[in-house]
Amino acid sequence: MDLNTQNFILMGISSEIIYSFVIMMSCLIIYFGTKELYNLSSYKGIKYFRQSFLFFGLAYFFRSFIKIILLFSNQVEVLKLESVLFGIIAPFIFMYFSSIAVLYLVYSFVWRDWKSKLNNIYFAHFAALIISIVSVITDEFLIYLITNLIIIFLGITLIFYIKKKDRVKKNTQLYIIYFLLFGFWILEIIDLFVPYAFQPLQTIFHLFCIGIFFTIMYKVLTRVGTI
Amino acid sequence: MQKRNKLEIIKDLLKIIQDNKNSIKITPLIRKSNLSSQRFSEYFDELTKKGFIKKQIIKDKGFIALTEKGIKYLEKYNSIINFINEFEL
Repeated sequence: MDLNTQNFILMGISSEIIYSFVIMMSCLIIYFGTKELYNLSSYKGIKYFRQSFLFFGLAYFFRSFIKIILLFSNQVEVLKLESVLFGIIAPFIFMYFSSIAVLYLVYSFVWRDWKSKLNNIYFAHFAALIISIVSVITDEFLIYLITNLIIIFLGITLIFYIKKKDRVKKNTQLYIIYFLLFGFWILEIIDLFVPYAFQPLQTIFHLFCIGIFFTIMYKVLTRVGTI
Repeated sequence: MQKRNKLEIIKDLLKIIQDNKNSIKITPLIRKSNLSSQRFSEYFDELTKKGFIKKQIIKDKGFIALTEKGIKYLEKYNSIINFINEFEL
């Protein structure tokens, strides 16, 4: 391997580590920053909200793990990696955590209005598990991408339908942030599974994602009274 | 009168205790809480279980007092509500 290629790989790994670390830290700050509020109130909405960001953080951890392995091994397709750990287990865990993160965030919005005798959140875990297993077994990331698009679309529809009934003034800025979060999350999935999908715009893409998570983190820290 | 949610009822109960110099007998607490005896009993058990209140014996009489956690809840109540409203949880 020549020096230029080595340098390129090292730069890729370094930027990936920094990017993922920043996002993971934001997610963990959100999770631990809301711990006291949840411990005092035991309010389910807060529980689902903070757990959503814990799952986002874990998903980003496995995402960075996969990205670094791809760069290191000079491979381009995740599901084509020969190793069971990197080609099956790591993508499976990433898919599971990322699906459940989106489901939990949507559920944190709608749980009050979506009454059911059964515990809906268990369905979310089951759905995320099935999506991940099917995607990995079929070796087809499109299944995972399309199901996540469906989840996000249904989630947004459900949120607007349920919130339409509320007479309280809506927080439009929050909806825009979440819309951007979901949109960039889909782009993250494509970036992971489609080789060089956003290569020329990688840095701008990363900065946008960091901006979204920092905005949510800032709002959280302002409301809990840390800032 | 607008229906109170659970967090607000807990805050009101703890506030009653706090306003009574952090020591109140159970009967006046039930009276001031504006809850049925069944609902009061449920909330009382929950507050005890969560560690927001404690029972004190003063001169052979039972009193209810706030714990540190109960005081913390009152301090953080506005933050909790603002957070829930901000993120529409």
